[in-house]
Amino acid sequence: MASGMQEKQYTPSLLSFFIYNPKFGPREGEEEKKILFYHPIEIEKNEKIRNVGLCEAIVQFTRTFSPTNPAKSLHTQKNRQFFHEAEENYWMVMVVRNPMVEKPNKDGKPPTVEYQEEEIIVSNLFNGTFSRAFEAGGVELLTQKLEKFFYRYLQTLHLQSCDLLDVFGGISFFPLDKMTYLKIQSFVNRVEESLSLVKYTAFLYNDQLIWSGLEQDDMRILYKYLTTSLFPRHSEPELAGRDSPLRPEVAGNLLHYGRFLTGPANLKDPDAKFRFPRIFVNTEDSYEELHLIVYKAMTAAVCFMVNAAVDLNREFCEQLDSLVGPQLTLLASDICEQFNINRRISGPEKEPQFKFIYFNHMNLAEKSTIHMRKTASVSLTSVHPDLMKILGDINCDFARVNEDEEIIVKAMTDYWVVGKKSDQRELYVILNQKNANLIEVNEEVKRLCATQFNNIFFLD
Amino acid sequence: MIQSIFSDEHTVVFLQKGPLVFVSVSATRQSEQQLRRELLHVYHQIVSMLTQASINRIFERRKNFDLRRLLFGSEKVLDGLLDVMDSDPSFMLSAVQCLPLPSSSRDALSHILQKAITPDLVFSFLIANNRLVSVVQEKTVLEDARLKPSDLHLLFNLIRASAFQAGEIWMPICLPLFNHDCYFYAYVAYLDPPECTVCLVLLSTDKEAFYAVAECKRKIEEAFASQNALQWVANTQLYYVDDISVANLRHFLYKPSKVLDHHRQLPQFTCPEMEVGYRSQEERIRLLDPYRNMHNRIHSTSRPLKLIYHSAGKETLLAWVTSKFEMFACFTPLVTKKSAISELTKLLRWIKKEEDRLFICHLPKYSTAPQPGRSSTDRGSSARPNTSDTGLLSLL
Repeated sequence: MASGMQEKQYTPSLLSFFIYNPKFGPREGEEEKKILFYHPIEIEKNEKIRNVGLCEAIVQFTRTFSPTNPAKSLHTQKNRQFFHEAEENYWMVMVVRNPMVEKPNKDGKPPTVEYQEEEIIVSNLFNGTFSRAFEAGGVELLTQKLEKFFYRYLQTLHLQSCDLLDVFGGISFFPLDKMTYLKIQSFVNRVEESLSLVKYTAFLYNDQLIWSGLEQDDMRILYKYLTTSLFPRHSEPELAGRDSPLRPEVAGNLLHYGRFLTGPANLKDPDAKFRFPRIFVNTEDSYEELHLIVYKAMTAAVCFMVNAAVDLNREFCEQLDSLVGPQLTLLASDICEQFNINRRISGPEKEPQFKFIYFNHMNLAEKSTIHMRKTASVSLTSVHPDLMKILGDINCDFARVNEDEEIIVKAMTDYWVVGKKSDQRELYVILNQKNANLIEVNEEVKRLCATQFNNIFFLD
Repeated sequence: MIQSIFSDEHTVVFLQKGPLVFVSVSATRQSEQQLRRELLHVYHQIVSMLTQASINRIFERRKNFDLRRLLFGSEKVLDGLLDVMDSDPSFMLSAVQCLPLPSSSRDALSHILQKAITPDLVFSFLIANNRLVSVVQEKTVLEDARLKPSDLHLLFNLIRASAFQAGEIWMPICLPLFNHDCYFYAYVAYLDPPECTVCLVLLSTDKEAFYAVAECKRKIEEAFASQNALQWVANTQLYYVDDISVANLRHFLYKPSKVLDHHRQLPQFTCPEMEVGYRSQEERIRLLDPYRNMHNRIHSTSRPLKLIYHSAGKETLLAWVTSKFEMFACFTPLVTKKSAISELTKLLRWIKKEEDRLFICHLPKYSTAPQPGRSSTDRGSSARPNTSDTGLLSLL
């Protein structure tokens, strides 16, 4: 770069996040009671009150134009605030600093509106799983819970790596052959029958979902929690070498590799605690409170959900351990074997020919050949972030109308981006063919659809 | 300062210009930048009536002055502006639409305008049916300042809103992008009462020059009558998409990046008359929406694009930006990509052929003899409302 032309790039980052309920402190002098959670805590009390007051005012202002659809977001030059009414009168507000590119003379601000807006929605869906004690329990209890939960959750929120996949909030399904799938099904049935306390089950392999007995929306949230929070926290001791220091907990159990991810870390430990996280799922019109038991063997994980009213004790856990452990271990190695066989048949996985993202709104299935690795903190994509933002723009355009559409775009760098929406499915393809014209691009995408999506109709 | 607030149904956009704050609440799906640009037009329209210098000065003296006192009677102008911004693509493209006219006719008309001049006359416009027919300008004016489409739009709007028919008007007007601190004096008259489609606008810097300028108009009228020039304008062929014989194309907007012969450009665009399906005001407004959306995406500051092809339920839309032009096109929804491309090629060829007729290719100039003894005063600093500016040089 020429000297003196230094470009500093700022990524979006969370400035503050707070939750308030205006009903809790309606009178003058009681404003502080409205605030249920505020991050960062170091902010001076009056400033907190002022910020909350401003949000209330903005929401009221926009209510004059549309009583049912008040403000969703507010933009200033430096940051953006997002408002979300999680439940009646409970407001969550997230303030994000704008991504900026600072050049010596001009302070540009490339906005990434769509992403940030959707991300707040995602984080709020998520919240639904854990803190539904709004109705029950007093304010004290609520503030405590919120503090515990959000403190941990906010650390997992990595705004700079959010992209289209987060907007979808989909689930990655693990492809399986029929035999193995049936084996898993019958395993689940057997366990549910033997342990009658278990209400719902979900089966995952390698961070991808195979089977779930939960409602779609709940599963989506649970899936997100598992893949961004729970799984990353527990490394894989059994995959470590025999003499690795990570092994000791599992030592002594040579029958199987199963262990609890939530609950007692080591059954043999006499002081083990039998406390499981509670989640709330949506059944019909009400909420069900359940214990979440996550049990893992190698790369297979099963979630059992038991009615929270039941007290889970050592006896139950040991029963579960002895029943599930060996079977799960066997299943896990079966799946692994099948997977390898399939891989050998289909050939080694080289650089995928087409870069695309596919999402099906109906079953929440997502597939991406663009993301090489996607965890909570890192999103390695093989394409430039600006191209990902173009995907977001197209997604935004699609969302406006409920019809089947197609948008083809040629970016300044001569990349072509094609977005197709058909029924409830969306497909985004990125092509790097600098000298292609519209017709050629069209042909390429048709080829892709024929090979990978030949049973789905996309507009031509 | 808060820039915008979004909710599901509405967008609220704020703009601050000097002592004035503008707020727009919109239920359309325009982007924040587009809405802010509309607010800027409103601001400029107000400046065109009051000048920026006087607005700033008034508020400096009295912070809580009620500007409505000065804007009394101008509601029609501002309302008219808001309405026309919703259906006229010229705001979105920042360009002027010209009346298609064979270049020989246009040259002859310009020649007539060039001859009818008087000292202190700066611009002469001939407008027909809200399209620009010809514009001639004083030679020295172009040195530093340039006539901008936005100023022309405001001028057109002002004339439209005055809604006079016969007779003539002499009114002060400020062109905000040209010089936002001082007034021109505009002589406006229709040359063809009672139809009132052809309008002559003469801009002078001299407040007292009414009679001199009216004399110019008389000369122009005479020359028109003797050559039957009004017939040329009346006979002009506004074109339809059918004339180009492209079956699937319904409508387009084409804006070349360089039309005028010499360095100074007046951005222009051309578009056909609306087809049957798009004649009503609602349909025109509805069609402008997807055009605006594509315009917004293609000119995005952070991720601009070269081409957008969007097939949707009601129509298939295309937006294309190259170094030579910018164009938006609307096809029937079931058009195949092959036919769309071939029709587009045909269209481009047709436009190239008709270029002379569709656009104003050069801006003729005249010179009025400079008056002796006039000093060039600083631009803007000594400008007071309703004071005539002495000498053309003070415009620069």
